[in-house]
Amino acid sequence: MEIVAKPNKYELGEMLLEIGSLLIVSGANTERVKVTISRIASAFCCDSDLMITNHALMITLTYKDHIKTFTSVKWVPNMHLNFNLISDISTMSWKIVEEKWSVERINKEMKLLDRKPLYPRFAVLFLVALAGASFCRLFGGGLIEMILCFSGSFVGLFVRQETMKLKFNFYLCIFFAALTSSFLVGLYSFWNPEGEFIHALSTSVLFLIPGVPMINSFSDLIDGNILNGTTRGVNVLVIAFAIALGLMVSLLIFNLH
Amino acid sequence: MDFALLEKGIWLGCAGIGFAVLFNVPRRTLGIIYIIAALGGLLKFYLISLESGLVFAALCGSSLIGFLSVLAAHYRKAPPMTFALPALIPMIPGFFAYKAMVGVMKLTAEQDPEVYTKLFFETVKNGLSACFIILALAAGVAIPLLITRKETVKRIKTDIVLEKQLENLEEEN
Repeated sequence: MEIVAKPNKYELGEMLLEIGSLLIVSGANTERVKVTISRIASAFCCDSDLMITNHALMITLTYKDHIKTFTSVKWVPNMHLNFNLISDISTMSWKIVEEKWSVERINKEMKLLDRKPLYPRFAVLFLVALAGASFCRLFGGGLIEMILCFSGSFVGLFVRQETMKLKFNFYLCIFFAALTSSFLVGLYSFWNPEGEFIHALSTSVLFLIPGVPMINSFSDLIDGNILNGTTRGVNVLVIAFAIALGLMVSLLIFNLH
Repeated sequence: MDFALLEKGIWLGCAGIGFAVLFNVPRRTLGIIYIIAALGGLLKFYLISLESGLVFAALCGSSLIGFLSVLAAHYRKAPPMTFALPALIPMIPGFFAYKAMVGVMKLTAEQDPEVYTKLFFETVKNGLSACFIILALAAGVAIPLLITRKETVKRIKTDIVLEKQLENLEEEN
């Protein structure tokens, strides 16, 4: 059997931190980060102790002879959802354990991992807008409302992407997007006062719903990671507040109730 | 009636796909997400049509999504969350939340006590419905994932592999 040489502790630690921060940014919950990292560390005969918060990741590696070898902290940037990356890293971690990869090999594979969005921008815009229209239909809207909702979601998501590129505050981006979507629908209903557009108005901002932080928050709480769960929960509330604020501003502009 | 349910299934799937693309899921999972989103939502609408309560219907629908996504995770080799989250989002009660928010806005401007009471009642009702449905959704999808932790199954297998390797090492020594 091939005996794996003990890797350089700095290389191993840095690599684990990089994997962990990628997982957190892509939207994995705390338990998954912990499990994945300890799995990879155990492939190198190491114990890993982690401290995970929403914006920082801290790791201490210990070899089996209980000599502490490495401790470091890494700052984690803002969330950018990429489930494809989580799935790839999860598959990779199993290969690392079963095929005994070296640190160099893992670093090489990490560079190959697809970090870019998987779908072309127009496809994302179109499909999310279609999702908005479907929402509208599900809540009981008609054809005109669906078209309104489609265009509202389309423009709203476009605005969010553009404002994110301009590096505005994250919550402000969501506020802008909610305002744009509801403004568009509100404008149409302002010009056609006899129609009923409540469904289009309420569903045009639904694409902004922070579903992933919400479910992650709940599963963190259930796993016992109370602090992380609470942090994510508060994040969800702030996002929801930003959406409500955007919607409220356009309701007040057009005096719709 | 049946056709109306079927149509809802189609739209539920479309909404699921939209969010799946927003979350950058792997391409191989898109078809499964469409089916899971449609089935979970249909169960919810079916239970609502039987008048079994919104919260209970949401709980059942999201549990179904949770279990199906665990199955799909084994079949398509991706974490269960990948399937569960996009499929779950079409069930979020946006309309209730919207009504609750507008209700609060109206309450701040209302003067007449009689209208105020009625409005307050409606607003609290809508807000609580939205809250509890969201809680039921989160719980319903999290519990199946917790019960059937994928790691446990695989860890047993790798432990056996590791043990064999250790035995080999001992023999060599």
